[in-house]
Amino acid sequence: MKMFTLAATTAALMAGAGAAQATDFEFWYGNTGSVETAILAQCDAFNAAQSQDKVACVGRGSYEVSMQKAIAAYRSDNAPVLIQFFDAGTLDLMLSDAVVPVQDILPDVDWANYIDGARAYYETSDGRLYSQPYNASTLLFYTNKTQLEEAGITETPKTREEIKAAAEKLKAAGHACPFVTDGDTRRVLEQFSARHGLPIASNHNGYDGLNAEYVLNTTFAVQHLTNLVEWRNEGLVRLGVDTKAGKYADAFNAGECAMMEGSSGSYAASAKAFEGKYQVTVGMAPMYEGYERHNTLVGGASIYVMKGHSDAEVAAAKAFLDFLRQPEQQMAFTAATGYVPVTKDVLGAIEASGEADAAKYATAAIGIESMNQPRTEDSRGVRLGFYVQFREVFMEETQKARNGEQTMQVALDNAKTRGDELLRRFEQTYQGVKLP
Amino acid sequence: MSSPPQALFANRWLPVLLVTPLALLIVIFFYVPIFQAFYWSFFLERPFGGGSIFVGWANFARVLSDPQFWEAGKRTVIFMVIGSSLAVLVPLIPAVAADRQVRLSQPARNVLVWPKGVAGASIGVIFAFIFNPFVGILSPLNQWFPGIWAPGIDGTDAFIMLIAAHVWSGIPFNFVILLAGLQSLPRTMHQAAAMDGAGARRRIFDVQLPLIMPQVFLTPVLEFTESITSAFALVDTMTKGGLGGSTNLLVYKIYVDGFNGYDLSGAATQTAILMVFVVLLTGAQFALLGRRINYER
Repeated sequence: MKMFTLAATTAALMAGAGAAQATDFEFWYGNTGSVETAILAQCDAFNAAQSQDKVACVGRGSYEVSMQKAIAAYRSDNAPVLIQFFDAGTLDLMLSDAVVPVQDILPDVDWANYIDGARAYYETSDGRLYSQPYNASTLLFYTNKTQLEEAGITETPKTREEIKAAAEKLKAAGHACPFVTDGDTRRVLEQFSARHGLPIASNHNGYDGLNAEYVLNTTFAVQHLTNLVEWRNEGLVRLGVDTKAGKYADAFNAGECAMMEGSSGSYAASAKAFEGKYQVTVGMAPMYEGYERHNTLVGGASIYVMKGHSDAEVAAAKAFLDFLRQPEQQMAFTAATGYVPVTKDVLGAIEASGEADAAKYATAAIGIESMNQPRTEDSRGVRLGFYVQFREVFMEETQKARNGEQTMQVALDNAKTRGDELLRRFEQTYQGVKLP
Repeated sequence: MSSPPQALFANRWLPVLLVTPLALLIVIFFYVPIFQAFYWSFFLERPFGGGSIFVGWANFARVLSDPQFWEAGKRTVIFMVIGSSLAVLVPLIPAVAADRQVRLSQPARNVLVWPKGVAGASIGVIFAFIFNPFVGILSPLNQWFPGIWAPGIDGTDAFIMLIAAHVWSGIPFNFVILLAGLQSLPRTMHQAAAMDGAGARRRIFDVQLPLIMPQVFLTPVLEFTESITSAFALVDTMTKGGLGGSTNLLVYKIYVDGFNGYDLSGAATQTAILMVFVVLLTGAQFALLGRRINYER
């Protein structure tokens, strides 16, 4: 026992001596499953690669919980140095005065290396990145090529109109679920509006100031959402809850549904589930005819540096951010998770690796192409207050429309009214704060 | 014992010391948050702090004029009344049966208590599966009448599912309380009633139920307040308040507004209102109902 204590003490002392300047710091993330595994692998790699700093990566179970805990921790001065936040929290973070823009504390990094599609969502009006994009995804269109061919569809549909025609053919061939979606705000409203160049709210979706108002009830989005309801009534579209699998991506992966719009991050799961049974195609999310294609938005999350930490901790955190930006790290992360790499040099590195066509990088090129389509002032992102609550409002009102309780126009009018109330309250809460 | 009972503790500070940890816990985790909620309900509070603006009663005015709040409140009351009534009535039947020493009453007494050990969130997950329209117990119904049971699409169905899960989770506790009440009745009462020619059913309504009124009164009081808060785990795991908000009970709305929407002031205001409602409700129950029940035997 004594020997053991002695040995342990010596070991501890030596470890301490070996890393005399060791700075421990925390990084909180929200993902679970294979993404969490990949994140932890990066943390271990960072700790193994050098002995100066040590990152402790703490999983919080979900983006929402992670943000809740960060708020509580920040209020009691226990916040981590680095934290991953999701897209919809961007404005809350920008106005929080709880974070330091990454571009300010890492001025020497070549931030232009990030593709525009990823930058636009997280940068200030003067073009400074507030956070370092981390796990990025975007919306893509998936088809079950095998099932489409069985129904006599040889060309993958490219437009909404072609999808409808294909769905009709599938239905005629006895397919119970030609196209599946879940009606989620980001898929049916945000990504749709961005790539069709339509605003969701005035002031360019809030980028120009907190006094924005929702306009989603006046754009082509109304027709799109009405179409989805009608097509569902005709048996061409199903919702996740209409399916045996219960969730839209599961229903597609199980072969229950033939087409879906889903995250670029879904590809790995689909490819694995289809193995030996079906062929999958993946392409950019389809447009309505007569509309010029614009970029899709970056989804997923980015990493913020929180205030209130010592210089040593911030320096360590900077080293970790530098580490995560390395092309080999991004490539490994992409390969393990299906997220899209967001820096230009990584795309080059993937090309150079000779594996660009491999399944693990299959969505990288398409995802980036989709995010790099011509940009408008309205397709940079969404910068609206209490936006997470608005997503709930949108879901609630459109669900009522799908149940036949109200028309889609009324649903969106209601969503605008309720959303504007949220925006006004947000504006009042942040009185005197200027949007960076 | 040599000393009288009131001098159980030699040192007069010892009892205080023993109570302190619990009292501290209650203060820290109950009274402080409540105070905080009431305090924030008069401010516009930023999630990360730094700059809260006093707005007086403006938050209350806004919440009270918000139709969504009233909708959620109405649903909460409907859930409370239907859910709690069923949660008392349903276990009353097995309690009466178990008290009558029918066959299997002994194992039933044990089995019926088991659900007490299941957490609300687990019940939600299990019932979501049981009521799944494709693989659950009601799925045959959908084969005969397509689309009749669709808790993922129809708000009413989702609400029914929620109430069923709530009633199920309430069975053990109410069963135990009611059965204990029934068992405490003297056998002689049954015998006297039987000799007067009262059948088994007659005796239930004329002898047993009137005599267990204290228990029958107690269970809804506990159920009413319980249903307002405990519904959270069920809503969170089963419906997320979804389907056009048809299952968005007040307690869940508060959580979503405050924790997912970072609207601390709105959530605090609704918490304050809900709390006042629960206090008034419990007070009214005791004032109105309690008086009519004879606790003497």
